[in-house]
Amino acid sequence: MKNKDTQNEQLESILRKARLPEPSPELKERITAEAKRAWNQTLPELSWLVPFRRLAASAAAAILIIWLANYSSERALAQWQSEKVPSTSEQFPGLESLPEIPYGPFVRQLATVNRQPSMIDASALNDHIEVLRHILDETQQSNITKPSELPGSRSHLISNPPSVISYS
Amino acid sequence: MLRAALARNDPAAVELMWDRYAGDLLAYLQAVLCSRHDAEDVLQTVFVRIVQKRHKLAKARHLDAYVYSIARNEAFRLIGRRKRKRKVEAVNEIWLTVTEEKPGPNELAEELQAALARLPQPQREVIVMKVYKQKTFSDISRLLGLSANTVASRYRYGMEKLRTLLENLIL
Repeated sequence: MKNKDTQNEQLESILRKARLPEPSPELKERITAEAKRAWNQTLPELSWLVPFRRLAASAAAAILIIWLANYSSERALAQWQSEKVPSTSEQFPGLESLPEIPYGPFVRQLATVNRQPSMIDASALNDHIEVLRHILDETQQSNITKPSELPGSRSHLISNPPSVISYS
Repeated sequence: MLRAALARNDPAAVELMWDRYAGDLLAYLQAVLCSRHDAEDVLQTVFVRIVQKRHKLAKARHLDAYVYSIARNEAFRLIGRRKRKRKVEAVNEIWLTVTEEKPGPNELAEELQAALARLPQPQREVIVMKVYKQKTFSDISRLLGLSANTVASRYRYGMEKLRTLLENLIL
């Protein structure tokens, strides 16, 4: 350890043969003049001004962030609108206008088929109820008059089922 | 005294700052930048920054450490700017001078500064402040905001490297 200290001292004495020059008077003049100019240009900061300045900076940053968020969302939306994709809030114009919407013929046909049963259902049901009522009336009348004279044991209910019945 | 002048917003604080910091800061900046011209330019920027931040400086807990941190930041900013511009100049500028006026003294200065320039910057700045500005480890640790042990180990490693680099000068 002592040996190291001696070696360091020896090395330091070699290094001290050189020196670092002190700042020149010209440098002092130049730098102090520049510093004084900066002093006059910079207003002394008032202590109460600091929180106001921070508040203003925070408000400005918040406004900037909100503006950027709005801008980016509008830009993203404009990109979608420019591609003419129908928006979700748009009213469906009806089946007649389907050919104008970019669907293939198969999809159009599928939509038509899917929508038809709801119209057919009511009429088919009415027909079926009418048939049932008619059969019931006939059965009641035949039971009152001559129950043993019925043609066979076959039921009218089974013999004449409705052709198209859908409950979907 | 300096703190009071800064608090009073007295321009005489500039002169006081010069007397207190200029010599040590210039040495420190030369150690970081290995260039006298760059160190002088950065010193000017440092003084302007100090003046602009004088209200903070007047309230700073460790005034000296605050001033040195401004100097370090400005020096690294210059180094960063140089690197971005890919403008790395060869260190061939004399920033050490020799005390004795003998024929051919510049050879020694050149050899010493070449050896110092080959040290890592943290080790170089500690050695320069200790050897050329007679600062103690405690002073350096206070100025640079480092622990005394870190400063001492940087000095020790730096001296070991210098011993290898300058073995022809050591008898």
